[in-house]
Amino acid sequence: MLGPTPGSASNAKARRLVEMTAAYRPLDGAPDEFIGADGCPRGHWLEFFDKLAGLGSDDIARRFEAIERNIREQGVSYRAYGETVDRTWPLSHMPLLISEQDWAVIEAGVMQRAEAFEGLLADLYGKGELVSEGFLPAAAVTGSADFLHPMVGIKPRGGRYLSLYAADLGRGPDGQWWVLNDRTQAPSGLGYALENRLNLSRAFQTIYRDMNVPRLAPFFQAFRAGLAELASRSEPRICLHTPGPYSETYYEQAYLARYLGFVLVEGADLVARDGLAHVRTIAGMKRADVIWRRIDADFADPLELKGGSQLGVPGLVETIRQGNVAVANALGAGVAETPALLGFMTSIAGHLLGEKLILPTIATWWCGQEAEREYVLDRLEDMAIAPAFGASTSRALLGRSVVAGELTKEQREKLANAIRERGADFVGQEVVRLSTTPVWVDNRLEPRPFVLRVYAAMGPDGKFQVMPGGFCRISDRVDSRALAMGQGVQTSDVWIAGTRPVEPTTLLPRGDTVSIRRIMGNLPSRAADNLFWLGRYIERAEATLRLIRCLTRRAIENEDMFQEGATTTQRLRKLLSDWGAVPAKLKVPLTPQGFLNAAMFNVDEYGSAVSLARASQRTASVIRERLSSDTWRIVVDLSQKLENGRVPLDEPEILELTDGALQALASISGLAQENMNRVAGWRFLEIGRRLERSVNTCRFIRAFGMEQARATDFDVLLDLIDSQITYRSRYISGVAPYPVRDMALLDPFNPRSVAFQTERLAEHIATLPVLKLDGMLEAPNRIAIEVNADLATKVAACITAEFVISVERRLMGLADAVAARYFLQGAHAAQAEKQVGLA
Amino acid sequence: MIYDIRHVTTYSYETPVAFSLCALRLRPTSRAGQRVIDVKIDIDPPAAKRIQRECFFGNSFEIVRIEAEHRELSVTARARIAVSRPVAPATTPSWEEVRQLAFSVEDLGPQSPAHFIYASRAITLDEPVVAYARESFPPGREILDGAVNLMERIWDDFDYDPKATLVSTPLGEAFEKKRGVCQDFAHIMIAGLRGIGLPARYVSGYLRTVPPAGQERLEGADATHAWVAVWCGPFDGWVGLDPTNKILVGDDHIILAEGRDYSDISPIDGVILSSGGQDVDVGVDVIPVASESVPLTFG
Repeated sequence: MLGPTPGSASNAKARRLVEMTAAYRPLDGAPDEFIGADGCPRGHWLEFFDKLAGLGSDDIARRFEAIERNIREQGVSYRAYGETVDRTWPLSHMPLLISEQDWAVIEAGVMQRAEAFEGLLADLYGKGELVSEGFLPAAAVTGSADFLHPMVGIKPRGGRYLSLYAADLGRGPDGQWWVLNDRTQAPSGLGYALENRLNLSRAFQTIYRDMNVPRLAPFFQAFRAGLAELASRSEPRICLHTPGPYSETYYEQAYLARYLGFVLVEGADLVARDGLAHVRTIAGMKRADVIWRRIDADFADPLELKGGSQLGVPGLVETIRQGNVAVANALGAGVAETPALLGFMTSIAGHLLGEKLILPTIATWWCGQEAEREYVLDRLEDMAIAPAFGASTSRALLGRSVVAGELTKEQREKLANAIRERGADFVGQEVVRLSTTPVWVDNRLEPRPFVLRVYAAMGPDGKFQVMPGGFCRISDRVDSRALAMGQGVQTSDVWIAGTRPVEPTTLLPRGDTVSIRRIMGNLPSRAADNLFWLGRYIERAEATLRLIRCLTRRAIENEDMFQEGATTTQRLRKLLSDWGAVPAKLKVPLTPQGFLNAAMFNVDEYGSAVSLARASQRTASVIRERLSSDTWRIVVDLSQKLENGRVPLDEPEILELTDGALQALASISGLAQENMNRVAGWRFLEIGRRLERSVNTCRFIRAFGMEQARATDFDVLLDLIDSQITYRSRYISGVAPYPVRDMALLDPFNPRSVAFQTERLAEHIATLPVLKLDGMLEAPNRIAIEVNADLATKVAACITAEFVISVERRLMGLADAVAARYFLQGAHAAQAEKQVGLA
Repeated sequence: MIYDIRHVTTYSYETPVAFSLCALRLRPTSRAGQRVIDVKIDIDPPAAKRIQRECFFGNSFEIVRIEAEHRELSVTARARIAVSRPVAPATTPSWEEVRQLAFSVEDLGPQSPAHFIYASRAITLDEPVVAYARESFPPGREILDGAVNLMERIWDDFDYDPKATLVSTPLGEAFEKKRGVCQDFAHIMIAGLRGIGLPARYVSGYLRTVPPAGQERLEGADATHAWVAVWCGPFDGWVGLDPTNKILVGDDHIILAEGRDYSDISPIDGVILSSGGQDVDVGVDVIPVASESVPLTFG
């Protein structure tokens, strides 16, 4: 038998390369990245496809699948504005490739532009000479809602306005890269770019290495060091200020906080006081040195900026004014995004830097000036008209850029009149067709238009550094003019095809420059709150699943045939109703199978298994930066499993599903035990779980373990607390009240007993930080110790229903005490007040 | 004319307030046409911390932190102010000329008209309001003539009705109802002016409470008042118009603060830590203490 010869292998590869690329045709009249203006493929693309063809088609398909699987499992997501459900991240399987020569121009151009905007901002919020010396009309600035008057005259800490700048680029028909937009407020996409890189570099590991693609890590290192440099302390606390989980890009904010080691905070977590900014933590207020904001500046301080903002920090502007906190980008930096400024950038850069702009800007005429207005009106049909100040434009008539030639005559006339009356609200822009890049559609390559976002970060040396790569958004339409996320676009990783081997780097600093620490700062109160509730939801889900499993088993084994069994079943059903899994009163009573399906899958009931799994996922999603990716994956997996309940399942199927779900929950506990650092975060997860379990167990005991209980009830109780085997090995004579009660309530060796939970609770709470210095016990500690001691000294023969109720009540009191002491109190109650009583 | 002003604001809270952080814009400042002789602001319960600033537009701005638990907060501002305004210009440039000048001005300072030609937080440039304003500005009309005409039409077409609107009512709603208070009329007039490209700002302040003998008492006495200033070009500058009373602003008006709209000058703003509701009571006295004969010099 003959194996394939090397010759035939390379023939197969050559054939695959031809198959892949031969049919590729750029769009008419649009430039393309793969095929140059001369009709020949560009070298770095050919190299990529050649290597890809070398993998073999099965292998390629497998790698594509791996990319998809990874995104799903990582839960990479974004949210379209106004939607409540996260969308899965759309990642193209092809990277965008950029040659080293092209990149050198982009890098220099973006760095230069960042410097120009830094200078522009320093002038607008400083001396205002660009306006007074005639480089810029005042009205081209004041139309932006992001020109923030309270910030005029305040020099930001560290003297820098921009810590992160981004430019959206496209390649125009002349082959040059053009700037379409600038991003100076709070550029998004960095985290997604990083995710895209991790995914694609993993899927095409060898190609990635062989093409000498430069790494992203050094850029992030510089960005972090640059932010740290703004602070006055050597190991500053850097916070990422998020608008919250409903933000479109919350996923990436949590991801970046985790990757960069920043504290993820919402407005309510921060306090501005006595000239300093603080984070509310479980150990009291801790200084916040640097705030990297992802909220729009006007929302940052309800006192001096937009009143009534719930996202911001009252008094933050005054704290900035006093110079003790750095906010990046500086409040007010968003004014530089204004499209009205685009037409002035050439002369501004010339004046500020004494340089010509390396990257041309898309030709833009601000219609606030007479000559420019007339120019645009004369050529209206050939122009794209855009709001001059973005979303904050006074009377734009249009939400986004429109090509005037595509409007009806009537619409165009209306637009022209609006421009004549308030031209300042509009810019006219040249219509440019941007280049296309190959994407993989239906097993072949197709050209699609894209926009490339390139980032520059202020490094610790005060110089901008450009991320070697970027965030590329690809349109799914073949018209290459306007792009917005949420309109059916894909994203792709961006590879610069290098000629020199790349030095491997990671975010790891050199070992000798880092002082060793074992505790990761203080836990923010909000994170503690969410971890506590995650623990409670997970445990409640477990208890509910156990009840359902118990009920299912009884249905399968037909245990209701006898009166005693039927009473037990009724009790199980009642407990599920009491817990909100199934409505207590129904017009038409449910069949046993209908009841089980409702308890599992009814999303309208807050206590159903699926609702609890969703609540767990929701809670986990706002503290993702504190959970391992494995834990997150199981939480997502659990709620996905339980979502599949559209068809009513029969009893054996439900039994199988509850078994699987309980296993998943057990592995979450296992991960928490084995993988989570024994710091405060883990303790709050544990406290939540132990509290919930102890209360649930008390309720099980009251339902199935007191005076009225029969043998079948005790049996169920042992099932619910997972102690059948232990009990059988200890007591041969069968179920008896005292031993069962002892095992469920008092036995400190049974990890399911209430006493076991209270012992752990007392231990955990004892390790938490104290505020009082007088040595007196704080409320949570006092209650935990007391209830634990009570259980430790009780004997089984003396357990009454009243006693169980009293334990349950004190445990609920403990939950309240923990919340009052460690979580955000009152912050939620803070409300804006407005003076009324005008004439 | 010299006035003594007392402006008392009292908040009553349903449940105790543990903590309160306020921004006060209650201290009148000296500016063209008026000079502050004396001013004092008392806060009860006393503030743990007070920081006095001046905002971009030249208004006083005070950050006040109260840490004592309280169920009532009272802020009393007392001021003695001398007022002497120039008479309004007899002729002004055409409104088109002013519009052209406003959009090309090379000044980013606080008095620049460029800050007052766009929509702002509380002022949207609603088309019906703008269309209403257009009628007052036929081609070539002098800007002040047009502005006075607009003011008079608002006074004729709208009813003064303190029950019709709240401080948060959007101006478009007040415009449709054709009723409201000084704030609504000022916002509507400003929106109309800016909508056709003319610089207009929001002015808050006081009116003399007791009218001179033989004259009617003006609306808006006994409370804080609001009106409009329109920019009439670099030579004539800002001219005040009071659409609530259909008069040009003169020595009966005392300016407290100026800004783009109410949100820039809101006299008391802030956040409190409380779970209950609140009531507010505002009282204003404006007493003339000397006649016009007192010699005064104004900057």
